[in-house]
Amino acid sequence: MLLTPVKWTMVQTASLQSLYMVSLSTLITSLLGIPLGVLLVITRRRHICQNRTINFILGLVVNATRSIPFPIFIVFVIPVTRFIVGTSIGPTAVIVPLTLAAVVFMARLTETSLLEVPFGVIEAAQAAGATRWQIIIHVLLAEAKPGLIMAVTITTITLISYSAMAGAVGGGGLGDLSIRYGYQRYQTDIMWVTVILLLLVVQGVQNLGDYLVRRISHR
Amino acid sequence: MTHLIEIKGLTKTFNTGADNVEALRGIDLTIDEGEIFGVIGLSGAGKSTFIRCLNRLETPSSGQVLVAGRDLTTLSRAELLEARRSMGMIFQSFNLLSSRNVWANVAFPLQMDGRPKAFIRQRVAELLEMVGLTDKAKAYPSQLSGGQKQRVGIARSLANSPTILLCDEATSSLDPQTTSSILSLIEDLKERLSLTVVLITHEMKVITEICDRVAVMENGQIVETGRVIDVFTSPKHPTSKSFVEVVLSNTDHFLEKGYQPKGLLVRIGYIGPTVIEPLVYTLIKKFNVETNILQAHIDHIKGTPYGTLLLDLSGQKSSVDNALDYLRNCEVNLEVFNVANPR
Repeated sequence: MLLTPVKWTMVQTASLQSLYMVSLSTLITSLLGIPLGVLLVITRRRHICQNRTINFILGLVVNATRSIPFPIFIVFVIPVTRFIVGTSIGPTAVIVPLTLAAVVFMARLTETSLLEVPFGVIEAAQAAGATRWQIIIHVLLAEAKPGLIMAVTITTITLISYSAMAGAVGGGGLGDLSIRYGYQRYQTDIMWVTVILLLLVVQGVQNLGDYLVRRISHR
Repeated sequence: MTHLIEIKGLTKTFNTGADNVEALRGIDLTIDEGEIFGVIGLSGAGKSTFIRCLNRLETPSSGQVLVAGRDLTTLSRAELLEARRSMGMIFQSFNLLSSRNVWANVAFPLQMDGRPKAFIRQRVAELLEMVGLTDKAKAYPSQLSGGQKQRVGIARSLANSPTILLCDEATSSLDPQTTSSILSLIEDLKERLSLTVVLITHEMKVITEICDRVAVMENGQIVETGRVIDVFTSPKHPTSKSFVEVVLSNTDHFLEKGYQPKGLLVRIGYIGPTVIEPLVYTLIKKFNVETNILQAHIDHIKGTPYGTLLLDLSGQKSSVDNALDYLRNCEVNLEVFNVANPR
């Protein structure tokens, strides 16, 4: 299955757009999602910064965001996108809904892996005179590191598939290419190439994540 | 005698939505400097909450916890962190950081306290030496046995040179041999570092092996306190009795198994270097009482010998009565069972 040079150029451009969208949104998502996940955990009942109000509001926002199907969410946050990026079309614009949707996903994954740290270990750090900030950094995040790497891996893969959906609303990238050419213009070769590319990238990301977890886990 | 720890009217109530759980219902207790103080109770008695109130891992609902004269319940957050550094704590599940090796686990409290690197290196080496784990410095907790993990826990708890060591069921997940070795390590370190040790446990063996004094806890209250030897040889409260009987053989069981005493069933408990053989000899020889030894138990609590004897005394009523009078005048605890209606 050989593509014409023109089609190759299209695939190349789309791939770079996808790479740009996914890597930037993964980065921002991790920077925002992990702290949000930490907040979700430490404000819980009987945790180190118990605060029912904050916990309730954060939980509500996270659930509300997660309950909107992604393609609808993209449209729903267009005003926000326009405000931040200036336009709602193109790869850069797509990063806004991608990040917003993935942040809450990441937060929940972070929450789950932080909750796996036995509370006794936190108590031991408290008993040793550690501050709350030290507990977050040196106990919660340090102990949950393998889980957090897994969470970033899963989020990256989710972002790859979300970015393909984003293609449908003018985001560009591999998803956009496969829908416009592969589906709407019946160019099955393009469809195949994009699907195989996505498959390889997802597999690669997963393997990298697994490898890192194996290397740093001492459980 | 200085009271290092003084607990006054300590209560703790957990609000769990619908109903409130009263974990501690007014604890008054003093713990002296340099002693090993044990709190024994069944699970749910509140002992875990109690020990967590001593370093305010649990905030008391009311009452005072005075450590060296300072009321922990009124400390600010910064003062509390400082106070916690003067107390070490070890746990049933060890609670080591799985992401850190032995060395880094022991270094943890020092790093959190911002000590210089050179100091940390020297101190950790000292601590590992103290608990006999120098060769395991690079191992991760998952590669250690339970006893080794607890040794790391002990080294970590002593990193900031505390004066008080809190032990939260520290040996409950260890086998009997490892338990003994950990207990003797604690006892040894207590002497070397002039520590005061507060431990909670549900095992009477832990109490008799290393504790000086014991408090028996039930239902959020302390039902009996005293020197271990006293509580052990003549427990007053039913709960204390049941704990003692786990270690000693149980008279009730003896009777339940259908033993029909020939005469009068008596239990003699004695502490210290009382010589028991002349006593039995006297019963037989002088009072002409047929003395059948059903049970005998002799052991040591922190170097003091103690024993119990379960005897079946038969013979002429006057002889038996005279024998009982004699026993009452001896330095022993005498318990006479009603045969028709055993206890």
